[in-house]
Amino acid sequence: MKILNYIIIYIFITGTLIPIACSDKKDDGKSTHVSETDTLPMLIMQIQKCSRLYTTEYNIHKIITHDDVIRMQGKVLNKDFNIKLPVGDRKIAIPMTATLKAYIDFSDFSDKNVERDGKNITIILPDPQIVMTSSRINQKEIKEYVSITRSYFTDAEITEFEKQGKEAIIARINDTNIIETARDNAARVLIPMIEQMGYDEKNITIKFRKDIKKLNVNVEK
Amino acid sequence: MLKSKTIIYAKIIGFALAAIAVVTAVIMIGNEVRKTDISIVTDKKIGMTPEVIQSIKAIGEWEFLTVTDEEMVDTARKGIFGHDYLAKIYYGTLRLGINMHKVEPGWITSQNDTVRIILPAIELLDNDFIDEASTRVFHETGRWTHTDRETMYNKAYAKMKANGLTKANIKNAENNAENQFRNMMKAMGFKHVEISFSK
Repeated sequence: MKILNYIIIYIFITGTLIPIACSDKKDDGKSTHVSETDTLPMLIMQIQKCSRLYTTEYNIHKIITHDDVIRMQGKVLNKDFNIKLPVGDRKIAIPMTATLKAYIDFSDFSDKNVERDGKNITIILPDPQIVMTSSRINQKEIKEYVSITRSYFTDAEITEFEKQGKEAIIARINDTNIIETARDNAARVLIPMIEQMGYDEKNITIKFRKDIKKLNVNVEK
Repeated sequence: MLKSKTIIYAKIIGFALAAIAVVTAVIMIGNEVRKTDISIVTDKKIGMTPEVIQSIKAIGEWEFLTVTDEEMVDTARKGIFGHDYLAKIYYGTLRLGINMHKVEPGWITSQNDTVRIILPAIELLDNDFIDEASTRVFHETGRWTHTDRETMYNKAYAKMKANGLTKANIKNAENNAENQFRNMMKAMGFKHVEISFSK
């Protein structure tokens, strides 16, 4: 019986007193930044040679909003119902800016893309492509409204909304005339260049292969 | 005697009918309960808001080397009830090349079948190269402020720039620019192509 008592006293001492003795005495109850570590290495770096002439840049602004409503929905006695539960609101607005650029890919440029006829020169270019080169969240301008009964938005949730915002911007790119602008701007870059080679501006033609109306716009993410 | 027997039969039939009615009702209610479906849901989709084109620029950036990078950045904080930790993976693409708006007058000169080109120096074409909307949260505990997120972004930015904008990569881009311009000029009919970069 005595042995059992000793065991209980030992467990009590090791379980309660030692953690107290080892705790950080400097902790004054305030939450403080103590370290910002750079312990994790770079993950993947991919280097690729290319030849892309970017001719047009669009800066697009979007305010991503999310209204997190908790609903009870289902079916009772063959009747559907969908009720908003009165558990408090949770809303967020995230300002975001994305940069989209249109480019002409010169990687496969060869003599097949050039037609010369005396003093005249025609350059046949591939279709412009679009890429989202960057996206930036204005962290300082993020507005959150969270009721006392609800939890704050986590970073994982916020990044998910940002991802959806990016997808929404990409989905709407067809509504802009970025391709036409890219074609016009490509001519503005190339014609002075070819002029420097000794051709007259009136003898230079920049041609694109496809009819723009049939062009399906794909955006590289 | 006959009357009492009839009453008993009537009672038995009555009980039987009542029992059948009860069983049918239980089965029907059971079926309805089985069909009943109640769930608590939250909509994870964003609201429909417009996209506003802030600016349209005519640019002339010729990219010769693409450096795609992903960086994991973490931060820790000590609180009353333990440590908070946040680790995020940032994705970015550094584009190295020449800015055609920086060419000097007379940068291309040609004589017969020879062309001489002086290209502007290789540079980072766009200082905004992180795709912040594609950031992934790898691990998260605790609540973080916009200042914390901004600090993490800046750390990822500095790391990516340091890793991507190296002398080796600039040289690599320069070599590729030379090759691409040489091929292009040959396609345009020049036999001899001389290429150099302005310092």
